[in-house]
Amino acid sequence: MFRATLAICGRTVVKRFISSVSGESALPSNLRLPSNLIGVAPQKRASPTGSDLPVLRRCEADIPAHLAPALTWLESLESHDSEPLGVVDLHPDVFSVPVRLDILHAVEVWQRNFKRISHAKVKSRAEVSGGGRKPWKQKGSGRARHGSIRSPLWRGGGVAHGPRGPTSYYYMLPMKVRVQGLKIALTAKLAQDYLHIVDSLEIPTPDPHYLLDLVKHRQWGESVLIVDVGDEFPPNILKATENLKTVNIIPAIGLNVHSMLKHESLVLTLEAVKFLEKKLLWHDVRFTPLYPFKLPYSDLP
Amino acid sequence: MSWTKTTTGKTIDIVKTLPRITLANLRPNPGAKKDEKHRGRGMHGGNRSGRGHKGERQRGNRPRLGFEGGQTPFYLVIPKYGYNANHSRRPQYPPLSLRRLQYLIDLGRVDPMQPIDLTQLVNCRGVAIQPLKQDYGVQLIDEGADIFRAKVNLEVQVASEKAIAAVERNGGVITTSYYDPRSLQILIKPVPFLMSGEAIPKRLLPGEDLLPYYADACNRGYLADPDKVQAARLALAKKYGYTIPDITMDTLFETLTRKKKKKKKKKKKKREKHGLLNAKLKEFLDPMHQRLRIW
Repeated sequence: MFRATLAICGRTVVKRFISSVSGESALPSNLRLPSNLIGVAPQKRASPTGSDLPVLRRCEADIPAHLAPALTWLESLESHDSEPLGVVDLHPDVFSVPVRLDILHAVEVWQRNFKRISHAKVKSRAEVSGGGRKPWKQKGSGRARHGSIRSPLWRGGGVAHGPRGPTSYYYMLPMKVRVQGLKIALTAKLAQDYLHIVDSLEIPTPDPHYLLDLVKHRQWGESVLIVDVGDEFPPNILKATENLKTVNIIPAIGLNVHSMLKHESLVLTLEAVKFLEKKLLWHDVRFTPLYPFKLPYSDLP
Repeated sequence: MSWTKTTTGKTIDIVKTLPRITLANLRPNPGAKKDEKHRGRGMHGGNRSGRGHKGERQRGNRPRLGFEGGQTPFYLVIPKYGYNANHSRRPQYPPLSLRRLQYLIDLGRVDPMQPIDLTQLVNCRGVAIQPLKQDYGVQLIDEGADIFRAKVNLEVQVASEKAIAAVERNGGVITTSYYDPRSLQILIKPVPFLMSGEAIPKRLLPGEDLLPYYADACNRGYLADPDKVQAARLALAKKYGYTIPDITMDTLFETLTRKKKKKKKKKKKKREKHGLLNAKLKEFLDPMHQRLRIW
C-alpha cells in the first residue's frame, strides 16, 4: 500500500519538492529514495509552445479567433530512442476544454452501469415448491398459527423482499454530455503530459519486448492505449500488442473515457487526431435530431 | 483575455499540478449526490417510520384520491359543461409569427428562393409540430408584420388577414392548405417514412368543418378558384393601402407560383376496367356501379 501510495504520489511529491527548493538541483540532498521505488518522476520534456519549430500539422476545422491551438510534440515509433519529429496543432475545442471532473465521473459511471443486467433472482413464497396446505389447524394445537410452510418466517421458505428477476440498469446520458466527457478526457491527458501523438504505427519488429522497451525508455508509464483509425493496422504492431496486457490497441471509434482513464498514457496517430476532431467538433454545430442520426440527412453538415 | 484568466485556462493549470486523473480519483461534485432516505431503520426513521399511529394511515388502507368519506365529492358535485367537450379532437395550430420567419430567413436557416413549406420550416427547426397532439399544421400570425421584408412562396395551414397582407405586400405568394394527420406526420418527417417502404398515401380533403375555410379565396385556400384569389389579392391591397407588385415580371416568378400537384377533375371518359374481380363470372365489379355503391 505504501508502495502504491508512493507510486501515485511520486510525481506530486517530487513536484512539491521542486517547488519548495528554490532553483537549485532537483531533489534535496537529505532525501533518501528507496532502491525499489516504482514511481520515479519522469523528466519533463520542454513544452513546444516557445520553440520556433515549424508546425507539421494544422487543424482542418476553423479555430475560433479568441482561442489558440494547443501545441504538442509529434513522435515516431521507428526506433526506441528516436527524437520527436516536430510540433503539431491540436484544436482547442477538443483538446483544451474546461476540465469538468464531475462530467468525467458521470460518463464513467454510465459506461459501467448502462450495460449492466443483474440476473439475481430468488424465489418468493409463491415460487418455492410446496406450501399450499395449511400445516395445522388454526386453533387448538398450541403452536403458532401458520398458513403455509413456505412463508418467509419459515426455514426453507421464500424470500420476502429479495432481488426479483433480471434487472436492467440501462439509462442514456445526453449525447452531448458523452461527447464532452471524451473531450475532457483528452484535455486532461494532454494537460497532465500523458498524451503522445505519433505519425504512424509502423514498428520494425513484431516483438512485444521492443514496445515495452520503447515505453520504458520514453517513460510513457505503466500502461499505454494506442489509437488509430481504419480497418487495417500494420501487422507488426498487432502482433506485438496481441499478448501484452498493459499495452493495448483500439480503433478510434472505440475510444471511451473508461479506457482512457484506465491506461496511463494515450498514443494517438495523426489520422486518429483528425478523425476525433472531426467527429467531436460536429456536435458543436449540428441541429437537434428530428429522427435518429443513423437515417440519412440531406442538409446537416 | 489572457489564458490564465479564462475558466479553461484556470482549470487546465490546476489539473497540471494534480495527480493523474484515474478511475480511482473520480467523484461527483460535492452536494450532487444526496443519500436516499430509508424509513424504518432505527432512531428517527424508526418506530412508526413516519406513518402515524394506528388507523388507515399507519395500515396503508386510505381510500382513493378525492373520496370525502361518502359525501358526494367535489369533482362529482360540479356539473359537466361543454368547455372541454371534444378537446382532443380540436385541431391546434402552433403559431409562426412573421417576426420568427424573418429571423429564420435572415440567419439563412430557410431559403426564400425555394417554396417555404412546413417541411422546410421543420428542417430548419423553426417550428415544432406534434401531429400526435392534434396539431394540424402551423398558423401564420401577424406579429412582426411591420418588419417583414422577405419575398417568399409560403404555404401554411391557417393565416390571419394581416399576415396575408404583409406577405403579399412584399411581392410574395401565400397559400393555405390542409393536411390530414397521417399526411402531416409524413410531411414533417419525410425521411423515416420513406425509409419504411410504405406507399405514399393520398392527401385527404378537409372535413366538412374545414372545407369552407380552404375553399375561400380570402384565406388563399388551396381549393379556392384562382380568379377569385386574384380578386381577393386586389381587394386586400386596396383595404390595407399598398400596391401589389407584379409578380409576372419577377425573376422568381416560377418559384413563387410553384404549387403542389393537386388532383385535377378530368372530364368523364371511358375508364379502364378496374375493381374487384369476380372469378366465377369472369368480370370486374366496378365499385362505382350503381348497384354496388354503398354510400
